[in-house]
Amino acid sequence: MGLDSPLGFAPGTVTMWAVLVFGVLCALTYWKAMREGIAAEDFLRMGKKGGAGAGAGRTSEASLGATAGGPGLLPFEEIPSSSSLLLARRLYYAFTFSVILASVLLMSRLLTHDFRLSYVASYSGRDLPFYYLFSTFWAGQEGSFLLWLFWGSIIGLFVLRSAKEQEPPVMIVYVASFIGIVAILVKQSPFRFLGQLPPDGQGLNPLLQDPWMVIHPPVMFSGFASLSVPFAFAVAALWMKRWDGWVVRAMPWALFTFVTLGTAILMGGYWAYKTLGWGGYWAWDPVENTSLVPWLATVALVHGMFLQKAREKHRKINIILAILAFCCILYGTFLTRSGVLADFSVHSFIDLGITGWLVGIIVVFLFGGLALLALRWKEIPVVSDLDPATGKEKEEPFLSRSVLFILSVTLFCASGLVILLGTSAPILTRIGGKASQVSTGFYNVTHAPIAALIGLLLALVPFLSWRGETAAAVSKKASAAAVAGLVGGAVAFAAGVRGPRDLAIITFAVFGMAANAQTAVLFVRRRAIGSMGGYLAHVGVSIMLVGILTSGVYETKTQVSLPKGQPTPVGRHTMTFTRVVFVNEKGDVKPFDELDMSSLDDRRAKQAMEVDVTSPSGKVWKAYPKMYMNQRTQQMMANPDVQSTPLMDLYVSPQSYDPGQQARVEGTLLTLKKGDSKAVGGIKVKFLDFSADRSAINDAKRPHVTVTANFLVTTPETAEEKTAKFIMYFGATEDGPATEAPDTPLPGKGRMRIKRVSPNEGTCEIELLGVAPGGDLKPATAETLSIDVTTKPLISLVWGGFYVMMAGGILALLRRARDSRQAAVA
Amino acid sequence: MKRAYWAGGLLIVGFLALGLSTFTKSMTPYVSFTEAKASRRTVQVMGALEKGSSRYDAEKKTLFFTLVDPKTKDVIPVSYTDVKPANFEDAVSIVAIGRYENDRFTAEKLLVKCPSKYQGEEIEKQYGKKA
Repeated sequence: MGLDSPLGFAPGTVTMWAVLVFGVLCALTYWKAMREGIAAEDFLRMGKKGGAGAGAGRTSEASLGATAGGPGLLPFEEIPSSSSLLLARRLYYAFTFSVILASVLLMSRLLTHDFRLSYVASYSGRDLPFYYLFSTFWAGQEGSFLLWLFWGSIIGLFVLRSAKEQEPPVMIVYVASFIGIVAILVKQSPFRFLGQLPPDGQGLNPLLQDPWMVIHPPVMFSGFASLSVPFAFAVAALWMKRWDGWVVRAMPWALFTFVTLGTAILMGGYWAYKTLGWGGYWAWDPVENTSLVPWLATVALVHGMFLQKAREKHRKINIILAILAFCCILYGTFLTRSGVLADFSVHSFIDLGITGWLVGIIVVFLFGGLALLALRWKEIPVVSDLDPATGKEKEEPFLSRSVLFILSVTLFCASGLVILLGTSAPILTRIGGKASQVSTGFYNVTHAPIAALIGLLLALVPFLSWRGETAAAVSKKASAAAVAGLVGGAVAFAAGVRGPRDLAIITFAVFGMAANAQTAVLFVRRRAIGSMGGYLAHVGVSIMLVGILTSGVYETKTQVSLPKGQPTPVGRHTMTFTRVVFVNEKGDVKPFDELDMSSLDDRRAKQAMEVDVTSPSGKVWKAYPKMYMNQRTQQMMANPDVQSTPLMDLYVSPQSYDPGQQARVEGTLLTLKKGDSKAVGGIKVKFLDFSADRSAINDAKRPHVTVTANFLVTTPETAEEKTAKFIMYFGATEDGPATEAPDTPLPGKGRMRIKRVSPNEGTCEIELLGVAPGGDLKPATAETLSIDVTTKPLISLVWGGFYVMMAGGILALLRRARDSRQAAVA
Repeated sequence: MKRAYWAGGLLIVGFLALGLSTFTKSMTPYVSFTEAKASRRTVQVMGALEKGSSRYDAEKKTLFFTLVDPKTKDVIPVSYTDVKPANFEDAVSIVAIGRYENDRFTAEKLLVKCPSKYQGEEIEKQYGKKA
């Protein structure tokens, strides 16, 4: 089978090496092209403008670039020695092709169940439907790194085309940002073999067998990969001293990250809510936090870029943010994949032996980027807005969009830093001695004021211009929206929202919603839908703020036991546990007897509890919270079921299921050691000794051993020695039960019999009947389901607001991409 | 312009200060069972589930069990009033976050670590690994 091949799956391993070689060569060739480009341009500038092979069809960009001065401004197609550039591009195509080939090879191994590969055997198995088999690609660490690289290489094709005049330096940094991941994949290859061939794989973790987990990781990693783009542009800007042009080119990419990473984060939350049964969509788990922080950094970057584009200053902040956003994603990868948080997260992480590599990569990019920044710090032009009268920089009026944007960038940074601080707590406290974790209260307490401030800031955006307004003008324009906010606050108060914190958040959020919606409508009227992205996104954020607050703070949780068939009031609903059923992925509900074991769908059906939920209006919703045993791992899984209505979600989470017992006669059980005595209902029993009769052990008909035990039974009246027998049969037992224990009458009242004999321990278990004061009849216990019922008011606003926010983000992305295509920049 | 930067700087400093003060308050240190029994504050303890010690009281909606320290063999009784975590019985180790009161560790949160059935290490142990 070729299991002894040291290469593992040779085509895959060779392709991974090819990726590394093409990546390095591509970066080096771009560097060569850049040197030649700069040289050629110097040559051109020395009085040969318009000549030297740039004869035909010089574009306006080129002339703009050439007149604006500074190195590397010519489109490289027009530079005589651009063969290096063409070669560099071809090498990038080869790099991308190799990455795609490696991915296709790994996917082919997974789909064909090639269990020679350690990765395939670890995360995949035979009894999986196609879409889950497909998703095993990113079930493990190596595969998810490869997915990251896959998106990186594809996105690079677009960067290469859209970077224009900045192509060589940007592509060098961009490719370099992935070399670390390539190196990890070469070292920890997904194509390595096992020593022996297992018959089947371990299968896919049942928690990941969910439709959301098929699409969530690809979206997430496209967001991760796209963070390299602003980073590459920022570092190239520092390198080439191109202080404003990079923002125009990188802005659509920052918005791309905003959309993809944001969507992926919310999808993950939705999965946690609907499937995992965490009771909510957000638990401040390290895995969630480490993708949220880079997203917050991206949100800050997007705002910073708008500010720089509008004002042509505040340049340093964007370079810092672009570098930090990228390093955050690396740091998050380190936190979640190095095993440092293994004791602190519900996800179990293991150390793949790449911790050192990850730390190395972070150090190179963070310190490399910051060192370059320090080197260029003094050269970054700060002042562009001089007051002609005084010759000094103009002070911006406080009530201006510029100040608002600076404050918002600061808020996002503050939020990110606080989350980073909390998530890193186990590492920080380990230095001081004992590793500790912060509770989720830490995040909630610190983020309440941030949420209120964000609501207020984005409410003011539509009423302020970049250059500033007077307070009177602002209050006049904002009055209608502000009234809406106050009404919103009053409605919330009437609905039961209490506390200044919650009321402030809702009032500001409704204010912001009204203000931005008002402006968005204005844009629609002017047929300028393409330009209203920002306002629309702000409307979405405001809606989300309200939903996050009400569903989180004002949820109600009830624990209730439902005896089968008995309607039980729960809040305003009535719930009845009706039966145990099986539900397959198509949603078919069948009792166990009706399952068709020849169909994969029915074999994969999960056990669920059918609960009839009757609303106050009499409508019945059948809830199917699942409780099932994962056969392969013998683990009990519990999934909630959710009824969503616009005003409220009803969240039914199964807790325990008791199949119940019928009424039965059961005496008092006593376990006695030789010489022990115990008393029940005035009768004392002492276990004296026992003997075993093995004469019938070879009996032709029913081989058996008879144990005879002697007891001393003491009642108030008398003390008698009693004998009880216990017969154990061997071999086939269709003639009767495996053991037989005749009753022995006790003096006065009652009987006794032997339940079990353990000769090795010298113990004997006996049952006394008709002795216990309460009688021996045990009543039936009902079949009972225990559930947790949670109501989540207005959680629909979280999802609804999110759609609006993303629609705004996509509009802005399209608009900025068009700007970048049309713009000639320096 | 300087004013905006000052205001922004103040905001960051303010939130970091709020963060740091909340940080120390919401900190739950990892402690040994002996320390947990002596402490009054919220801490976290880690141990293995003692076989056969878990019992779910449906009336009180409470899970009772005993944790054993794998090294010192110390034990601590734990109660947890919430949904019984999935895979509870299979846990190789359990982290309980809460405080010790009335001779019992009352957990607010449980983290259940299950055997790494889905991780490459296991299958490589079983079937060997190629360098």
